[in-house]
Amino acid sequence: MAADLVFYGFALLTVLAGCFVVFSRNVVHAGFALMFTLLGVAGLYAMLGADFLAVTQTVVYIGGILILVLFAVMMTRVPSQNAPRRGLDRMVPAGIFAVAIFALLYKVATGTSWPTATPGEALPTAKLIGVKLMTDAIFPFEFASLVLLVAMIGAAILIRERKVLPAEAPAEEAATEAPADEPEVTA
Amino acid sequence: MTVGLPHFLTIGAALFALGIFAMMTRRNAVALLMGVELILNGANVNFVAFARYVDGGVDGHLMAAFVIVLAAAEAAVGLAIVLAMFRNFGTVHVDTVNRLKR
Amino acid sequence: MLNVETLNLPNWADARAFVPELVMFGAFLAALLGDIIAKRRPWVPFAIVLFGAVTALSYAVAGLDIQAPAKILGDMVVVDGMSSFFRMLFALTAVVTVLFSWKSEEIMGPGREHKGEFYALIALMTGGMMVMAESTDLIMLYLSMELVSLTSYVMAGWMRGSLRSTEASLKYMIFGAMSSGIMLFGLSLIFGLTGSMTFEGIRAALSAGTVDPLALLTVTVLVLAGLGYKIAMVPFHFWAPDVYEGSPTPVAAFFSVGPKAAGFALMIRFFYTTLQPVVDQFDWPLMIAVLSVITMTVGNLSAVRQTNVKRILAYSSIAHVGYLLMAFLMLTEQGLQAILFYLFVYTLMNLGAFLFVTAVNNSLKSEHLADYAGLGFRSPWASVMMMIFLFSLTGVPPFAGFIGKFYLFAEVMRREWYWLAIVGVLNSVVSLYYYMKIARALYFDKAPEGAGAVPVPALQIFAMALLAVPTLLLGVMWGPLKGVADRAVAVIAGL
Repeated sequence: MAADLVFYGFALLTVLAGCFVVFSRNVVHAGFALMFTLLGVAGLYAMLGADFLAVTQTVVYIGGILILVLFAVMMTRVPSQNAPRRGLDRMVPAGIFAVAIFALLYKVATGTSWPTATPGEALPTAKLIGVKLMTDAIFPFEFASLVLLVAMIGAAILIRERKVLPAEAPAEEAATEAPADEPEVTA
Repeated sequence: MTVGLPHFLTIGAALFALGIFAMMTRRNAVALLMGVELILNGANVNFVAFARYVDGGVDGHLMAAFVIVLAAAEAAVGLAIVLAMFRNFGTVHVDTVNRLKR
Repeated sequence: MLNVETLNLPNWADARAFVPELVMFGAFLAALLGDIIAKRRPWVPFAIVLFGAVTALSYAVAGLDIQAPAKILGDMVVVDGMSSFFRMLFALTAVVTVLFSWKSEEIMGPGREHKGEFYALIALMTGGMMVMAESTDLIMLYLSMELVSLTSYVMAGWMRGSLRSTEASLKYMIFGAMSSGIMLFGLSLIFGLTGSMTFEGIRAALSAGTVDPLALLTVTVLVLAGLGYKIAMVPFHFWAPDVYEGSPTPVAAFFSVGPKAAGFALMIRFFYTTLQPVVDQFDWPLMIAVLSVITMTVGNLSAVRQTNVKRILAYSSIAHVGYLLMAFLMLTEQGLQAILFYLFVYTLMNLGAFLFVTAVNNSLKSEHLADYAGLGFRSPWASVMMMIFLFSLTGVPPFAGFIGKFYLFAEVMRREWYWLAIVGVLNSVVSLYYYMKIARALYFDKAPEGAGAVPVPALQIFAMALLAVPTLLLGVMWGPLKGVADRAVAVIAGL
C-alpha cells in the first residue's frame, strides 16, 4: 500500500510538472518544471527496480542535459521581446490531437494482454548492465561513442566564432533572394 | 487496484502526449527541444516498465541507458543549432525563420 | 565471479565480415586526425576519405556473393545479402559525393571553413548508413538512425553564415528529433508486446501468439512515422524541400539518396523480417497503398509549381518514394527485388541530377529555372548527362529508370492492384511535365544576351559520368544488377 502511495506521488509529480513544461509561457519556468518531471521519472525508475538508470537519469539528464537546456534558454533570451501569446487556433486542434493520442495509448496500455511474468525480486542492475555492455552489447557501446564524437564535433562546427570576413562571405544569399532586411550576421 | 504495468504505461503515454502537444504548440526552439525530452522520457518509462514486468532482464534498461546517451548527444547538437539560429536571426522563434520558399 | 569462457566476447572473426564499415569509421577518424595534423591542407582528409570509400566499395562488391547470413558482434548486426547490397550502394554514393564536393564552391570555395571535417563526416555517415542496413536489434536500429540523423543535422547547417543553411538545419533537427522520438515510443511498445529486442525474437513472438490488433496497428503507425521521416514519405515530408533547398547542394544530393536508401533498408528489414507473419491481421496493403498514392501525388503536383530546380528535384524525390512504396504492399520477395533494383537506379539518376545543379551553381550562382536558359550550349557535357538523368527519372526507355519502374509496376500488377498501377502511371505522366520543363530550359530557351559559357571542372564531369554511364548501360543491360538484387533478397536473415 505504501508503495502505491509512493507511485502516485511520483506519477503526480511527473505529470503535473510535465503539464507545466507544456503550458508555461515562460521558457525558464518550463525548464525548471522539466527538472521535476525528470526527477519524477527517476523515481519511477527506482520503483521499477532500475537503480542504475535512476542514478543515470539524475546525473546525466538532470545534471547534464537539463543544464545545457537552461544555458540555451538564458543565452537566447531577448529581454525586450515578450513571448507572443499562443493563439487558441493552434492550442485547440493540438489539444484535441494530443488527447486523442493519449486516449489511444491508454487503451493500448490497459486493453492489451501484455505477456507479463510475475516480477521477481529487484536485484542490483549495475553489474548486469556492465557485463552486458562489455560483451553482447559492446558494439552499440562503441557505436554510441561515435555518436557522441560527432555530436561534439558538430556542436563545435556549428557555433564556433566565425573567422571569415563579411567580404569573403558566401554569395549564395545575394544571388537567390537578396536579404536586404536581414544582413548576414557575423558574430 | 495495486500498481502494475498499466499504471506505468499510462505515465509513459501521458508524457508522450504532452511532448507531442508541446511540439505542436510551442514556437520557441528551446521549448520544442524540451518537448522532445518529454517524448523520449515517455518511451523510456515504457522500456523500463516492460523490462520489469515482461522481460525480466536488463535489455530494457540497456535501451533506456542508450536513449539517455543519445538524448544528450541530440541536445548538444540541437542546442548548437538553436544558438546558430539565434546568432543569425536574432531570435529563437521558429515562425520567424522562413527564408525558404513554401 | 564471472567466467570469461562463457561470455560472448567480441572476436576478430567478426571483424572480417565487417570490413567496409570498419574502413569507413577508420577513414572518419583518420580524416579528423589528418585534418588536425596537416593544417589547411584539405586534400589530406579528402584523399583519406576517398581512399576509404573506394576500399569499402571494392570490399563491398567482393562481398556481394553471400551464401548464408552471418550474425556478428553479439548478434547486434547481421551481414546478409541485403546488407551487402546496400553497402555497395552507400560506398558508391560516398565515392561520387566526395569526388564531386572537391570542386564545389559551397564546400571548398574561398572563405569556407571546416573543409576537412566535411569529408570526415561523409565517411562517418556512410558507415552509419551501412550499419542501419544491417541492424537486427532495436538498440542498433535506434543508434544507427540517430548517428545518421545527427550527422545530417550538422551537415545541413554547414554554411554557418547562411540564413538558409541554418534554417534547413533547424527544420531538419526539429522534425527529426520529433519523429525519432515517436518511433522510439513505438519500439518500446513492440518490446512490451514481444519481450524481445532482436528482430528474430520479435518475429518468433509475433508468429507464435495472437497479438492484440489495436496494439499492433499502433506500433506500426508509430514506427512508420520515424522511418517515413527518413525516407520523406507524405505526411512526414515537410522538411525535405526546405532542407534540400537550404543545405549546400552536394549535401542535399547526398541526403536525397543516402539516408533515404538507408531508411528503406531499415524499413525492409524491420517490416519484412518482423511484421510479415502478422501482416494479414490488419490492413497493411491498403495502408501502404494509400500512403504510396498520397506520397507520389503530393510530390508530383507540388513539383509542377516550383521554379527552383533544387525544389523540383526535392519534390520529385518524394514522388519516387511513392513509386517505391508501391512494391512494398505485400512484402513479397519479388516486391523487395524490385525495390532494391529501383533504389540503385534511383541513386544513380537522382544523385546525378543533383550534382548537375551543384556543378552549374558553382559559376552560375543560381538554382532558378529561368537562369538555366540555354545551358545546353553553355556547358554542353554536363547538360547532356543531365538529360540522361532526367529521361531516366521520368522512366522512358531505353534508360535505367524505365527498367526500374517496369519491375515496380510488374509487382503491383502481379498482386492485382490495378487502380494503384493506373495512379502510378498517371503520376509518371505528370512528372514528365516538370522534368521536360528543365529540359526545355536547357535546350530551347534562349540564353540572355552576353551570357558566357558555364564551365564545369573536369573532376565533376568525371563524377557525373560515373553515374551517367551506368544509367545508360543499365537501360539496355539490366540483367546483372537484377541478378544481384535477386540474390540479395534471397539471403535475408531471420526468415
